[in-house]
Amino acid sequence: MTPSRPQFGLTLLRLLTVQGSWNYDRMLGIGFGVSEEPLLRGLAENGDQGAYRAAVARGTLFFNSHPYLAGMAVGAAARLEYDRAAPQQIERLRAALCGPLGSLGDRLVWAGMLPFAAAAAMSAIALGAGWKAIGAFLLFYNAGQLALRWWALRAGWRHGAAVGSALRNPTIQRALALSSPAMGLAAGFALPVVIRSFVLPFPGWARVVFAATAVLALAGLRLAPNRLSGLRVGLAVVALALLGGWLWR
Amino acid sequence: MFGSIEVQLALLFWGTLVGLDLVSVGQTMISRPLVAGAVAGAIVGDLPTGLQLGIVFELFQFDVLPVGAARYPEYGPATVAAVSAAHFSGGALATGIGAGVGLLTGLLGGVSLDLLRQLNVRAVARAAPLLDAGETDVLIRVHVGGILRDAARAALVTAVGLILARIARTVFRSALTTQHVTLMAAAVAGAAVAVGAAGVLRLMGRTPTLKWFALGLMGGSVVAWTL
Repeated sequence: MTPSRPQFGLTLLRLLTVQGSWNYDRMLGIGFGVSEEPLLRGLAENGDQGAYRAAVARGTLFFNSHPYLAGMAVGAAARLEYDRAAPQQIERLRAALCGPLGSLGDRLVWAGMLPFAAAAAMSAIALGAGWKAIGAFLLFYNAGQLALRWWALRAGWRHGAAVGSALRNPTIQRALALSSPAMGLAAGFALPVVIRSFVLPFPGWARVVFAATAVLALAGLRLAPNRLSGLRVGLAVVALALLGGWLWR
Repeated sequence: MFGSIEVQLALLFWGTLVGLDLVSVGQTMISRPLVAGAVAGAIVGDLPTGLQLGIVFELFQFDVLPVGAARYPEYGPATVAAVSAAHFSGGALATGIGAGVGLLTGLLGGVSLDLLRQLNVRAVARAAPLLDAGETDVLIRVHVGGILRDAARAALVTAVGLILARIARTVFRSALTTQHVTLMAAAVAGAAVAVGAAGVLRLMGRTPTLKWFALGLMGGSVVAWTL
């Protein structure tokens, strides 16, 4: 029997730390188990300590997905525990959700919502918005991520074994369709605005250095993406500028 | 010259929070360089430098896609250290010095994340029999242990970054001319724009999003030109 008042609030709080013990062995598994545990307490309250402990143990096995959407698998797995599903079915569900939740979260958040918000905030700062841009970035992004986490947890619990249907939610699909173009638009807008704010205080010769570095670095990153990373390019440019400055004196 | 001990402790505390936010707790994006840099700038009393370096490292951050077990530099505490280095070296024009310190700190942060994950593997392996028996107390202990290890890691990375900032200030104070500092700032800004642009292009691939990117580029160019 499912609990009359599942502890969604506590589960959501714990989901905020779902990656707290991230490791190469079980990946999100321990965080998954920690997050799922409050939802499983009803099993013990029903007098079945064995089912509770077995469910907690299952929760700690290997799992990986986007952290904001892990709640969907947590909710669905907990629901299946109450439905007395076979352990193999619960493990299969967890395994089956890894890929789709990871892919959806990566496209929606890491490649959509986050770069969009960051690019918009960069533009606003470059145009003089200062703190307001930082505040708006944090408000917008966190409203989105908390809503996504809450929706995912509730959808997982509601749908249980049929949780796959939740991934076809029209709002999510619409957000997915919009996030990529919005990111492209915001990032495209940000670049010239940021470049202007960068070069404004520089004298003419420094603007030439800026432009030459940008063109050469971009060409290198595009032509040898497997050998060059942003960090390597950055370190190399700092070292060359340091050396060049000394030679120039 | 390097700020009071209170300022350094405040930067250390902020860098630790920023490092924790990246993976373990919240992911509320206070770990994004824009936010980390702005707050660090406010702590040292130099918001313009904080925002400037925030944008520089935000562009570097576009190179990072934190999927699965990917290894990547950590630019949050790095930005905090960068702001400390730049502010105490002469403000917004010293972004080149700040970026050098920040990039080294970011590299260290990435290595430390890998080590943390390996330590977590060991902790989980030690507790595996009890975890597999459904011991809730052990489960919570292992998880909280991981978070505390990450807090210690973030504090250590920030502390090393702040020490690097101090060394950079000491070494470069008399060695660099204004011209040299400007050269470094220009080169770093150019590199940051290149890294950011390459990151965005990689995110988009050859998809219809490119059209939106081009549209944004035109709009941004018009705004930049008319301001």
